[in-house]
Amino acid sequence: MSIQNKLNRLKKHMVNPVSTPPVQSKQPLEDSSGKRIDHADYWEKFGASAYFFEEDYCIIRKVEYPLDTKWGRYRFSDALDAVSKWQDIDAEHPLHARDLEASDLLFFDTETTGLSGGAGNTIFMLGMSQIKGDHVLVHQFFLPGPGSEVALYHYFLNHVKELRNLVTYNGKSFDWPQVKTRHTLIRDFVPSLPEFGHFDLLHGARRLWKDTLPAVKLSVVEKEILGVNRIHDTPGYLAPMLYFQYCNEGEPSLLEGVFQHNEWDVLSLITLYTHMSGIVTGKGFRTEKETYESARWFEALNEQEHAMSLYNEVLETGNSHTSQSKKSLAALNKKCNEIEISVQYWLELLEEDHLDEEPAVELSKYFEHIQKDYDKALHFAVMAYSRWKGKKRLTKRKEEQEKQRFLKRIERLEQRVIQYS
Amino acid sequence: MFQKKSIQQVMDVLREPELAKQIVQWKTIEPREAVSVPLPDSLHPTIQSALSKRGISSLYIHQLSAYEAALRGESFVAVTPTASGKTLCYNLPVLQEVANNPEARALYLFPTKALAQDQKSEMNELIDEMGLDIKSYTYDGDTPANIRQVVRKAGNIVMTNPDMLHAAVLPHHTKWVSLFENLKYVVVDELHTYRGVFGSHVANVIRRLKRICNFYGSDPIFICTSATIANPKELAEQLTGNPMTLINNNGAPAGRKHFLFYNPPVVNKPLNVRRSATLEARNLAKLFLENHIQTIVFARSRVRVEILLTYLQELVKKEFGTKSIQGYRGGYLPKQRRAIEKGLRNGDIMGVVSTNALELGVDIGQLHACILTGYPGSIASAWQQAGRAGRRQDESVVIMVASSSPLDQYVIQHPDYFFERSPESARMNPDNLIILVDHLKCASYELPFQENDKFGDQEIQDVLEFLVDEQVLHKRGKHFYWMNDSFPAHNISLRSASQENVVIIDQSNVADVKVIGEMDRFSSMTLLHEEAIYLHQGTQYQVEKLDYEEKKAFVREVDVDYFTDANLAVSLNVLEVDKETTDEQNAKAYGDVMVVAKATIFKKIKFETHDNIGSGPIHLPEEELHTSATWLTFENNDLSEEKLEAGLLGIAHVLRHVAPLFVMCDANDLHVVPQVKAVHNQQPTIFIYDRYPGGIGLSEKVYGSWDTVLDQALSMIQRCPCESGCPSCTGTLEEGNNSKNLAVKLISQIKGATEHVDSK
Repeated sequence: MSIQNKLNRLKKHMVNPVSTPPVQSKQPLEDSSGKRIDHADYWEKFGASAYFFEEDYCIIRKVEYPLDTKWGRYRFSDALDAVSKWQDIDAEHPLHARDLEASDLLFFDTETTGLSGGAGNTIFMLGMSQIKGDHVLVHQFFLPGPGSEVALYHYFLNHVKELRNLVTYNGKSFDWPQVKTRHTLIRDFVPSLPEFGHFDLLHGARRLWKDTLPAVKLSVVEKEILGVNRIHDTPGYLAPMLYFQYCNEGEPSLLEGVFQHNEWDVLSLITLYTHMSGIVTGKGFRTEKETYESARWFEALNEQEHAMSLYNEVLETGNSHTSQSKKSLAALNKKCNEIEISVQYWLELLEEDHLDEEPAVELSKYFEHIQKDYDKALHFAVMAYSRWKGKKRLTKRKEEQEKQRFLKRIERLEQRVIQYS
Repeated sequence: MFQKKSIQQVMDVLREPELAKQIVQWKTIEPREAVSVPLPDSLHPTIQSALSKRGISSLYIHQLSAYEAALRGESFVAVTPTASGKTLCYNLPVLQEVANNPEARALYLFPTKALAQDQKSEMNELIDEMGLDIKSYTYDGDTPANIRQVVRKAGNIVMTNPDMLHAAVLPHHTKWVSLFENLKYVVVDELHTYRGVFGSHVANVIRRLKRICNFYGSDPIFICTSATIANPKELAEQLTGNPMTLINNNGAPAGRKHFLFYNPPVVNKPLNVRRSATLEARNLAKLFLENHIQTIVFARSRVRVEILLTYLQELVKKEFGTKSIQGYRGGYLPKQRRAIEKGLRNGDIMGVVSTNALELGVDIGQLHACILTGYPGSIASAWQQAGRAGRRQDESVVIMVASSSPLDQYVIQHPDYFFERSPESARMNPDNLIILVDHLKCASYELPFQENDKFGDQEIQDVLEFLVDEQVLHKRGKHFYWMNDSFPAHNISLRSASQENVVIIDQSNVADVKVIGEMDRFSSMTLLHEEAIYLHQGTQYQVEKLDYEEKKAFVREVDVDYFTDANLAVSLNVLEVDKETTDEQNAKAYGDVMVVAKATIFKKIKFETHDNIGSGPIHLPEEELHTSATWLTFENNDLSEEKLEAGLLGIAHVLRHVAPLFVMCDANDLHVVPQVKAVHNQQPTIFIYDRYPGGIGLSEKVYGSWDTVLDQALSMIQRCPCESGCPSCTGTLEEGNNSKNLAVKLISQIKGATEHVDSK
């Protein structure tokens, strides 16, 4: 019994892309002089068409998926909800689709001939997906050979004028700079690059899952978080090799797997955006860890109100991350001039964890500077020092600095106590 | 209390009979008056005022020539000795351009990162005085990522090194659009350092640079500055591919300079062995140092530097403390070097012992006295080292202490050779196939080639087709496209050994293990083998483990009274014969060879007496070198193998010194290897090969002139006053063999003429 048979039988139990036949092209595969392009038969069967520009052409492929197709844990249509939920959130957030429709988002990914960011690294495929009415349209632009870039970017820039809302995975530091590099090389022959805006999901994925996943690669996130299981996928790292082989042997079927890989990538980005938005806006299921990380994310963005409400959620529901949340809440309350609330949290923390000196330090400061109660302040300062002494530290120099800080505080408070008694 | 002597008084000491009899040449170079001209009217007013604020109201004549050449749009090379104000030769035209056109860009190339840093501070001071918004930055491996963005977009003047240009700028040229579109000047400082393999690499980097400029529509003017060499114009043209104007009308003043040749006394008459140059240099340096005269001592090898440093630090320990004498050489960490340079400038450091690392324009101010331990191997190098002493006003002294080597003895006995002859040519071979292919890969990565494109002036169609076969490039239509997922510049180092450096790790203190230096792999075979005594800043370390795979040497501090000296066994295989001539007596050939070197044993040599006090084996893998070579083969009819070997070794010993003199290169660039039975023909053969992979054209020059070279060798042996061979001619061998006789006999046999030795 081969694994392959087994997989095929189990297939319907897995969440796997439903392959829909590609949209039949109405565009010609022959140029103005009637000459058919290389491998026209193959491309025709593959559902691709050619776009001619001057002497050259590029290959265009479109695939449609019904909007209610399930892709991992979500249907594509869930993205509509996710975007509309954002409209109720009054906060700055990198995922915030302010005043946008789901159909404004352009999920974008490229396939390149290498990973280095230099001038010799060519993008041979640009892929994107977009919600269009009752379906999702996958739109792929393929470079039939090096040197046809003018045709490729001419088509790309004339057909995709609106790049303001790109959704990518690591596109900020890889895909988009690479597009800019390629564009610079042919900028005299093609329209200029439009303004673009960017939702880079890698950043958020790192925040949410870097402690729980072995690596925050899209393939891992897909499998572990989104429930997308690819079967017979061509791994991304093979793409350059396959493209080189295609260039040398001229056999386009070598690239079938790459087209499919890119197609699945841009579809998974829809699910990923839906899922991450749900976590942050609180409209979907989220683990305690995810809630906690979302709170920290808001805190880092200086959105204190949202951060506090999420930290409170962790305290109400959770078992883990409570002491970190309390600490953060204490700090946030202190910032908002609600220090009495902070004091409550610090006192609780002091009880819950007998090793942590931080709350004691904070309390000592509070009694010294606000309450001017030097006896209490001294009490907490001494407690903080004794807790600190019980811990091991890595660097000697830092240890000495910290020690001096504790001793100084204690000394100062001792004098105050004498002075005011 | 002992009275400090002035430099004039120290010179009087040198004139005393005891010392004077060893001084075989005392040449006084008279002071030179400045040739100044007023600032040109066309100079931008802000530059005029900035210069006058710095107390500069006129230019030296060569600075004006440089300025005018640049204004005429000519690329030029300015030959500028030390302390002649060379920076204004390029800074004036560049600032003039930027002051008139704020969009203009200039690229400065310095051979090292340190030189770029020095220049940036100088440039920025001048810019501040001008009060214009001109941005000048260094761009090197230490530049933080956020600054890099700014440099790329807005830097008027970008100061970098060829390695950075090669690996970080050119492959990412699309991020430097505003630089390449507006590039008006490319400044190449220290042109003379671009020779040999490094120069050949950089010439190709500049071919790539010009290709990119052409793509963005700019055609920069090249400004080069060079120390004195025989062929500055030719070298600059080879390096940049542009026609060059030569500017050598130096108008800077110089103080009186005394150039002394010191030949140590003979201690062993029959063997003609002289006292060690190192020990004599030590005594001379002491004379200056104890009178508080700032002195630089040059030594030929890293080991010599460290030995001298140990001696000198010991001598002055009581008076100034060891810190006032420092070593300086490659292998010290950059921070350490910066501190030494600063100490020299502000006078905290009284003396420095250096390898040729300080020949470069590193700013250490001007010192009073300079001692060369041995002839540095080339006239150009000797003058550059001598240039470290000499101020614009004061007198200065340079003393060259000869060793027993034939070359040193030849030079010291023929002062005219040194003072009258022009310095050596700097040679490079940008079309060395290995180097060319490397850079064609990088260039293809940067921009696709078209059929019939040239690279510089080189036809490259064949190489491109080869790269297509190798599946590195892909040909489509008339274009060759990069088709590989690698980043070629990362695998290609401009300095052949620099990527292969062995890191030296001091584990004396287990709690504080630290890196104290690095060394190229080839040198590490003989200097960092296990049990070697490695000297660093005068401290002795013993190598406990050399991890050759991981390129790490673990050392521990020791205190012993010896140093180590390792033997390198070399074997040669002929791969391909390109040229061949045969006559009755011998056969000469030129072609490709593979050199295999292996460190075999090391000796322990006692300090002061230099006695051999022990030895041991070295277990290291072989190193290979593919290069070009010329070789001479002859038939041996009547000599026993033992005698043949002795004779060959004697000839090789002389050739090692004659051949470099003849082709005018550094003695290290050519190697001579004699073989009693060469692998390829089983006959006695003498090989001379280029030390760099692929060759740089030196041995080819010897191939055409074997007869002249042998004549020179013969006359050198015959003129030597020794009886049966000495270190100054054929070297010394075990008792019983008259290597001098054998060598003369062999040369005669090779040349097919009968000659007799004068029986002196």
